[in-house]
Order: sequence, then structure tokens, then C-alpha cells
Amino acid sequence: MRGLKSLTTLAAGSALVLSGLVVSTGSATATTAIAQCQASFKSGHLPLVSAGKLTVASDINNGLYQPWFGANGNPSTGKGYESALAYAIAKDLGITSKNVKWTAEAFDSSFAPGSKNFDFDINEISVTADRAQVVDFSNSYYNVQQSIVALKTNAIVKHHSATDLKNYTYGDQIGTTGLDYINNHIKPTKQVHVYNTLDEAVAALTAGQVDAIVVDTPTGQYMAAAQIVNSKNKTIATQVGQFPTAGEHYGLLFEKGNTLVGCVNAAIADLTTKGTIKSLQSQYLGIYNKVPKLTPIQP
Amino acid sequence: MGRRAAVASSLSSAIIVGLIIWFFWRAPNGANVRHFFLDPHSFWINLTGDPSRSLYSILRCFETNVWMFMLCEALVLIFGLGLAWLRLSRTPILAPLRVASAIYTDVFRGIPIILVLFAVGYGVPGMQAGWISQRTPITYACATLVITYSAYVAEVYRAGMNSVPNGQVMAARSLGLSDVQTMRRVILPQAVRNVVPPLLNDFISLQKDTALVGTLGIVEANQAAHVFGAMEFNYTGYTVAALLFLALTIPMTRYTDHLIAKDRRRRLAGGTV
Amino acid sequence: MSAVISAQNVRKRFGDHEVLRGISLDLAEHEVVCLIGASGSGKSTLLRCLNLLETIDEGDIVFRGQSLTDARIDPNLVRRHISIVFQAFNLFPHLSVLDNVMLGPVRALGRSRDEVKVEAMELLERIGLAPRALEFPDRLSGGQQQRVAIVRSLAMKPDVLLLDEVTSALDPTLVGEVLDLLTDLARGGTTMLIATHEMNFARNVADRVVFLHNGEIVESGTPSQIFDQPREAATAAFLSRVN
Ligand SMILES: Nc1ncnc2c1ncn2[C@@H]1O[C@H](COP(=O)(O)OP(=O)(O)OP(=O)(O)O)[C@@H](O)[C@H]1O
Ligand SMILES: [Mg+2]
Repeated sequence: MRGLKSLTTLAAGSALVLSGLVVSTGSATATTAIAQCQASFKSGHLPLVSAGKLTVASDINNGLYQPWFGANGNPSTGKGYESALAYAIAKDLGITSKNVKWTAEAFDSSFAPGSKNFDFDINEISVTADRAQVVDFSNSYYNVQQSIVALKTNAIVKHHSATDLKNYTYGDQIGTTGLDYINNHIKPTKQVHVYNTLDEAVAALTAGQVDAIVVDTPTGQYMAAAQIVNSKNKTIATQVGQFPTAGEHYGLLFEKGNTLVGCVNAAIADLTTKGTIKSLQSQYLGIYNKVPKLTPIQP
Repeated sequence: MGRRAAVASSLSSAIIVGLIIWFFWRAPNGANVRHFFLDPHSFWINLTGDPSRSLYSILRCFETNVWMFMLCEALVLIFGLGLAWLRLSRTPILAPLRVASAIYTDVFRGIPIILVLFAVGYGVPGMQAGWISQRTPITYACATLVITYSAYVAEVYRAGMNSVPNGQVMAARSLGLSDVQTMRRVILPQAVRNVVPPLLNDFISLQKDTALVGTLGIVEANQAAHVFGAMEFNYTGYTVAALLFLALTIPMTRYTDHLIAKDRRRRLAGGTV
Repeated sequence: MSAVISAQNVRKRFGDHEVLRGISLDLAEHEVVCLIGASGSGKSTLLRCLNLLETIDEGDIVFRGQSLTDARIDPNLVRRHISIVFQAFNLFPHLSVLDNVMLGPVRALGRSRDEVKVEAMELLERIGLAPRALEFPDRLSGGQQQRVAIVRSLAMKPDVLLLDEVTSALDPTLVGEVLDLLTDLARGGTTMLIATHEMNFARNVADRVVFLHNGEIVESGTPSQIFDQPREAATAAFLSRVN
């Protein structure tokens, strides 16, 4: 799971969320906006990096995972929430699925200065104020909650009151919301281990070097249900529970100043109105509501 | 070098450096790149840290690099010497160890350190083999550095030992010195003098490779810079880390050069010991 | 007079090449024997065999009645009694002149530094290098270095001193000072086996001269006998070539 990536100032982040969530100010406006966008695509005025085509980036080279993408990691199947959503947005703008092209973009390079060779990047990227200074984001296409994943044998599975939670050793991927959540909400007494990739954090978890990792609920669900297994292919991890949402959400990432973001937001608004987003979420992400609730000590 | 030559050479260096800086300063996107790598505000935050935003003080994190480096270097010097010694020993009963030491150096010089780091840092604790599996990440990181660098340093030692003329060994043996005494009193002191520059090279690499241990979740200077980069979308942290590394390696290099020069002077000049 | 050290039918091969072909040679207490012979005749090899720096293929080396080919013999112990000086000095460049001389007695014999230092300084005094005791060997001339090398061996108080062409690497003007030292030692009663190309020196100091030819002792006798009335044609041929 590439997931979650970064986030920092939650205060600033929530301000953005608020403005971001004011998406559908009325279906009439949305319909008009999307109609204009469809027209400008037809007339070739939509600012696309490759004329007539929607070029979508994700971290293809490092692996794409369920439930965001299809089982085989191929983004062009339309399977998985993000893949399906990318095609739904394209279709809403009048772009046929044949004209949706996928390109690889590693997470780290997505925010380097300079121009981008994609129209947008869909890669479970959390929207933050800091990031928004360097790149542009679409409105939310998914609101995220953080959850704890631990080995079934670890004490945290039974003991996870707000005070208990402080006493474990946590590990997480660098720059992720999960890491930020640990530091700002759980505030553990022991030094947090910071890993370069999520697989390293998982390796440390299975090796018993950390008690728990914090990842967003969908990712954690997949890890516990399928990814973290022993030599006999038996799952050994469990999702202990999820925290209340801290205002984090995922957005599509654009090159700074790309005007295409307006039409993509129009499409997201339109898909929200039509109920497409809700149905894709229940198709692919529905299981996540069943995860038990946890409470951290409030900061 | 005469005074005029010195003036001319510093002037020309200044002009060349100036031109390079000017070129990059004037580049169309230069201001953005400068902000990305050299933002003064980020620079300050990276030095001091900001716990409220989960940002580390790179200066504090660098302490980890420094003590890891010092500890590992001491151990590497000892293990590397042991390996080289085994490799060069002629005693028949040590033959299996000699082969083992040859294989060891070949293997660990050949494997990228990051792979060893993974194997040790995740493999050993993952085995759940009691005590050895319950160490901290930093212990596994140090073990990795020592394992790998001992192989490099063993080869440096070996080259040094081979560079000592056979006559020296013969002379030592003919005085009745044992194998160990010959090594300790005659070969080693000469070998080490011959290999100080390559040894130093390996030490500087070792020092820099302490920046790899972030892979095991340890927040040292480079990992702290990485955290900052991922959170703030700005790489100034790496600049701070680089400067800290330089602040350590440059004086070390100069000091070693000074020692080498001093030793040479002493050997060729009068005998005031 | 019983032999301090004796080679008995010693054979030594390097691969197919037999370098020593049954050498038998006794060295009595206080005796000075000079070993002469053409280059490649096996002089150095013989000396190194006596010192156990080389293993021998056949025969025996007996030191004061004790066979040295016995597997239980520790070569390091033997070498404290049988010392060798090389053509190429082989002084230790990282040690001062004094430390060069003291290394063997202090480390191999485990004697106290203070005691050894007094003796070492006396030895250096004897070769006139006491004032330079604290300098490093690189600063000395070849002749001085070779004299230090000889003194370094003497500091071990060996029963036998083996010298392998100790003047060959020297500038002709420096040969004299080294030979003078050896002459001095010979007068003092040091038991020595000296491989040399210096025929005049051999004539003056040797009790006995041994001529080695193709790994065999062709002839051995007093200096005047060997140099003035060689019995063997090979000896005569060799001498006429070097003179
Ligand atoms: N380690 C060795 N391996 C193979 N051959 C050797 C070795 N040492 C000596 N030899 C050979 O043994 C022969 C005798 O050599 P040695 O050095 O004993 O002669 P030497 O009489 O001392 O000659 P010189 O007067 O030139 O010093 C030579 O043919 C030499 O090439
Ligand atoms: Mg010789």
C-alpha cells in the first residue's frame, strides 16, 4: 500500500478541508460547469498534457494495491476505487476510457519543483496546506481515518485505552498521516521509528521491532486481511481499531497552476451529485465502517 | 609557491567559483531551486526541530551518526585486522578459518550494504531467536556497518601487510620473534602507515553510510532531513545534514594528513623522540 | 672439540631444482668459517636452512647435539641461538636504531628494557653509532645500517652468527667498516659462518674456508690451502674468475 503519504499542520489542513468540502453548492451549478468542461474538451481547449488524452499518474513502479487498484496492480482495468474513479472522471469529462493513459510517478518526485508530465496524480495523497504551496489539489475524493495495525500476539490488541496507547513502540512510514497522528494525537513515551517505506515499517512490525503501526483504515484493513502473513500464509496481524477522522482527505495532485483542476473538481462534484462516488466507495471501501472505534488522548 | 603565484591562483579560483555560482543563480528557475534546498527559515527549523509539527532537530539527530560512527569505526578496526590476519596466516590449523575469512571478505564487499542492513535489521529480529532477536534497531544497524566495513578494511590491511617487504618478516623471524610478535611489532606498524589514506577513505564512507540506517527506522540526521522533506516538500534539511557531515569529515581528513606528514618528518629528520 | 651446529647430508629442492645436494658441515665453538662459491651455488639457501627459515628435504641439522628437524622443535626458540644477518640489512624502518637492536632481546627473550638498553647502547658504542641511537635507520649510510643489523643480531647473544654476503649491497667505500667489525668479532671469539665474495677478508679471518659448487661442498680447508693450493679444478677455476 503506497498510502497516506504525508500531512503536517492539521490546523491548516482542516482549513483546506473546509474549503474543499464546499464542493457541491447545488446540482445546477455542477451540471453547468461539467457541461462547459465537456464542451471545451470536444473543442480541444481542455489543457491536457497530451492532446485528446487524459494522462493519469500513480506510483505504478512501486506497486498499486487493492482496494485502490485491481488485484493485479494494473491501473487500466477500472477495478479498485482510484482506478474506477479516474475512469469515472474521464467519462464525465467526455473522455473515452481508451483515451485514458497511465504513467508512473513516484511519490517523492511528485512534489519536486518543475513541470509535470501528467494531468493529475491519483495516489492516496493527503491534502495539506504545505503541499498545496508547491502543487495544486482537487477537492476530496475520500475522507480518511487512521487505524492501528499490530500483530495478533501483541499486548496492544487487548490493552488500548487512551493511556495504554502511550506506552507502545510505534513505527511508520516517513511523511505519512499515520506518523503525524502518532506524534500529535497518541504522543507515545518511546521514540517513534520512522521508516522510508511502508513495507519496511511492516517488516519491522512482523520482526517485533515495533508494537504497532498507524495507517489509514482501508490500508490497515488490507494489511491485516491479506498482506501480513507468516510462512504458512496465515494472517498474523489485526486491525486493532480506528480513530475518529482528523480532517484528512485524499485529493488528486496537479502541477502548480494547472487550470484543469477546475474541470476535475466539476467532475467530482457531478459524480458526487449523481451518487457515483458514494457507490464506488461502498463497492470498494465499504468494509471499513465495521472497524472498532479507538480514542486517543485529545491534544 | 611564490607570493605572486599564490595570489594568481586564488584569484583564478575565486573567478571560477564566482562564475559557477553566477550561472546557477541566474538560471530561470534558480530562485525556486534555492528555496527548495537553501530556504533560511527551513534551515533554522531543521537545526532546532519543531515537535509540534513532528519535525526533528537534525543537529540532535546527528549525535546518533557521530556516536554510531565512532563505535563502529573502533570495532571495524579490530575485526578488519582479525580478518586480514587470519587471511595471511600460514599456520596449517588455521586453514579453514583462512578460507572462511577469504569468503567473508569477498561476500561482504560484494553485497550492497543496504541489503545487509535489511537482512540483519529485519531478518535477525524476525527469527525470534531469543536475545539476539531482541536488540534495538540501532544495534542491528551498527552490526551491519561493522560486518560490511570489516570486509573492506580487512582488504586494506591485507594490502598494507603485503606491501611490507618479505625481508622484514625474515629479519623478525631470525630474531626469534613469534608469528604474533612479528605481526604486532614489525608488519602491522609498517602496514598501517602505508594504508592510512585508504583506511581514512573507508572511514569517511562509513561515516556517510551511517545515513543509511534510517532504513531501520532510526531517526538520524539524514532520516530527519527526509522527514522534513516529506512533510514540508522542501529539501533544505538535506543541506543541513550535508553540512554537518562535512563539518565532521573535513577536519578528520585534515588531521590525518597532518599526522601522516608529522610521521614522515619524524622518520626522515633527527632523532628527537 | 664438539660442533656447535652441524649440517648432516642436507638436501634442499625448490621444485625440480635441487639446490643443496647433501651438504655436511660442522661449525665448532669460536670457529669462523667462510663459505665461498659462485652465484647460485646455494650459499644463502644453506644459511637459511641452518636458521630454519627454510625447511630441508633430507638430512639433519644438529644444534649442540639436538636434532632441529624434530617436529617438536620450536623454530622461534632455535633462532634465538642461531642468528642471521642479511645482505639487504632489513632494519625495521619504523623503529629507531636503538629499538631495532632492543626488539629481539625485549620481545623474543622477554628481558627487561632497562637491562637490554644498557647492553644495546654498549653495542652501538662499539660501532660508534651510540650518538645516533634515537635516529631512524633511513637516515644512516648503508655501512652504518649493516653494522646496526649485525649488532642487532649480536644483541641476541647468539651461539652462532650466520652472515649472508653482508657487504654485497654496499658501496665499495663502505665495505671496509663492516669487514672491520666482523674481524673484530672473529678475534673476540664469535662463532660465525660467513658467506662472502670478499676473498681477502676470508683469507684473513677464516679458520676454515668452504667452497660450495652446484649445491655440493667441493673442497674445504684452511685459507692458505684453499686459496694457494686448491686441490679441485672447480675451486681453481672459481678462484681464477674472482681474482
Ligand atoms: N625461494 C626459492 N625458490 C626457488 N628457487 C630458489 C629459491 N631460493 C633460491 N633459489 C634458487 O636456488 C639456487 C641457489 O640460490 P642461493 O640464493 O642459495 O645462491 P647463492 O649461492 O646465495 O647465490 P648468490 O651468491 O648470488 O647470493 C639458485 O638457483 C636460486 O635461483
Ligand atoms: Mg646469496
